[in-house]
Amino acid sequence: MADTIKLSVNGVEVEVQAGKNLVDAVAAVGIEIPHICYHPALGADGNCRMCLVEIEDGRPPLVPACKTRAVEGMKVRLDSEKIKKIQRDIMEFELINHPIDCPICDQAGECILQDYYMKYDGAQSRMRVPQVVKGKKIDFGAGVVHDQERCVLCARCVRFTRLITKTGELGIVNRTDQARVNIFPGRPLSNRYSLNVVDLCPVGAMTSSDFRFKQRAWFLTKSKGICHGCSKGCNIFIDHNREKYQDDIIYRYRPRHNEQVNGYFICDAGRMTYKQENEKRLRTPLASGQQADLESAINALKRRLDQAANPFFVVSPNCSLEQMHAIQQLAAQKKATVSGFSEGYIQEGDGDDWLIQDDKAANRAAFAVLGIDETKEVFNSALKGADLVVNFGNDLSLSGVNNTSLGTAEMAFIGSYANSCADAAAYLVPVASYSEDSGSIINVDGVLQRYETAVKKNVPFPNMLSVIRQLGGGLDDVQAARTSLGNTVEAFKKLDLQNIPAQGLALTASEVGNVTA
Amino acid sequence: MSIDIKTVERKGGTPQERVYLVEVFKGMAVTFGHFIRNFLDNSKLYVRHYPEVEPEITARWRGRHRLTRHEDGTVKCVACFMCQTNCPAKCIMIEAGERNDGRTEKLPVRFDIDLLECIYCGFCVEACPMDAIRMDTGIYALTGTERDSFVIGLNELLQSESPFTDEEYKKGSK
Ligand code: SF4
Ligand code: SF4
Ligand code: SF4
Ligand code: SF4
Ligand code: FES
Repeated sequence: MADTIKLSVNGVEVEVQAGKNLVDAVAAVGIEIPHICYHPALGADGNCRMCLVEIEDGRPPLVPACKTRAVEGMKVRLDSEKIKKIQRDIMEFELINHPIDCPICDQAGECILQDYYMKYDGAQSRMRVPQVVKGKKIDFGAGVVHDQERCVLCARCVRFTRLITKTGELGIVNRTDQARVNIFPGRPLSNRYSLNVVDLCPVGAMTSSDFRFKQRAWFLTKSKGICHGCSKGCNIFIDHNREKYQDDIIYRYRPRHNEQVNGYFICDAGRMTYKQENEKRLRTPLASGQQADLESAINALKRRLDQAANPFFVVSPNCSLEQMHAIQQLAAQKKATVSGFSEGYIQEGDGDDWLIQDDKAANRAAFAVLGIDETKEVFNSALKGADLVVNFGNDLSLSGVNNTSLGTAEMAFIGSYANSCADAAAYLVPVASYSEDSGSIINVDGVLQRYETAVKKNVPFPNMLSVIRQLGGGLDDVQAARTSLGNTVEAFKKLDLQNIPAQGLALTASEVGNVTA
Repeated sequence: MSIDIKTVERKGGTPQERVYLVEVFKGMAVTFGHFIRNFLDNSKLYVRHYPEVEPEITARWRGRHRLTRHEDGTVKCVACFMCQTNCPAKCIMIEAGERNDGRTEKLPVRFDIDLLECIYCGFCVEACPMDAIRMDTGIYALTGTERDSFVIGLNELLQSESPFTDEEYKKGSK
């Protein structure tokens, strides 16, 4: 446990973590100090003054909480008339030239100005002169739309491009009421994390052109999820909504804070992977090349699998641990070889030293833990003798395996997304994707994380585990799979897979490298 | 809490009432009296001659909705979804789009109201920050042979006019 210190806020003694600034320290015990420019990932800038607090018997008596370290015995006052007046005045100042675009502003509902106005201000405007007119709907590139009038000049976006991406596309030009955020002429935002400024911006000055006007923030259900865009496994919010008479649809991904994995951010490419959850989905089950309903497709595949002399299972590196385990069990029962061959998911040199990884698969690390072979040799030799290839969502075309090289073997595909493997399949079972299912995955750094069902379709796809069970597998659900994993896989014997902590579990090198051969 | 008990005197106990037939004839006399009077002159009837005579609708009467326009004819609605959010019947369905007429940035590309689900509460009108939706068309009778015909869209809502002037409306809603 970190060291704690005692200080008093509004005369009440609280115990907080040492070494933090006042805003974060007391936020952890549920006390809000309003702040606009401070963001934990960007540090304190001290430009907005919304966080001013009174320190009783302190020198100086008034300090910005974001720039002040919490120390033992400090006496902080937030409820004095003086502080309340300062907060009102700062809010009035921020709103002097603010357009109050709320009806057409995508930030409405999650806007710091709206929230703080209701909490700390509530006064009528005293502006009697025309407001300063600035640029609206400016394309900053990378899908970011800027509105200079809504900007409160907190410089979070500017600091992000300077301190975090170190690309420095944004700056504040001019002073006083002419100050505005802008890009350099002809040099738009062009880093792969640009859309984070949309989340960072506390107001609606930075909006996403992709999300623009699609939904109002308060309609969205904000479920927790894990991005499957690459092997980093960044934590996200899956914002989805079921409109009247429509299906449950995802409208955006937003980063979810996890210090152990992605901090406060995600990459732009991963953010856009929500689209494949809505589109490009497999929907029509096939049995012997004929359209069929789900039950008969699964039953036909089961019969075909029972007859197969030499079945061969191909696993996607995006399958969850539980799914891989169930596939392995079914393979053992059917005497099938299992291969996770998927080198095409790796885009050499695409990754960087921060979040983006070369490997675009979410759970490749599990192959090693579970002992699933992913070499080309094993894949090719198993393919040669096989009369039935059951592919669990692996897009082999990425790895240079086209449908002709699959030879005479019959193909079955159990997956969520359309690809050429699914096109060639005689048996097709569409299953729930990760946003509609629960499971656990291990990321590139060996962090074991779990995700729960977020999206609930009107007609839900079956999850892969239940399909495997209907094909003859022995695991009922995710819980059963976890128990079985804990019992059979060396690396998991000491872990509580049913209760993986929210921030994930960092596996040791020996656990990740453990091959149960 | 104490309860007041009031004993109501029972009627119908007199010999005349007990005979019953006398009372029946007295009642019939009233009925025929009305019948003959209205038969000879129906201008004194207590009922409205609907549909020949239509009721008088005031400006604050909540009829079928309409979407208002600016003076230059452009739609006032900015697709803020306040009405949809506030609607207790969840019968407003809006889709927003980009607006390029220089007024603002956003407008509705779809604005459907399911009038069969609507409870005519007027909450949508109250929620609107633009005075873009009103229920002052004076339309109170809606008929149709299919359910779908009761879902009215953007065009229909924009085409309806109000029989009232702005002053009447403003006064009525004060
Ligand atoms: S930034 Fe906030 S206060 Fe300003 S228009 Fe947008 S929602 Fe309203
Ligand atoms: S655009 Fe947003 S993040 Fe950037 S300075 Fe303005 S208010 Fe702050
Ligand atoms: S009148 Fe009431 S029920 Fe009808 S659309 Fe308006 S808010 Fe909804
Ligand atoms: S009618 Fe009014 S409340 Fe409804 S979306 Fe349009 S502007 Fe908003
Ligand atoms: S949050 Fe402390 S000055 Fe802005």
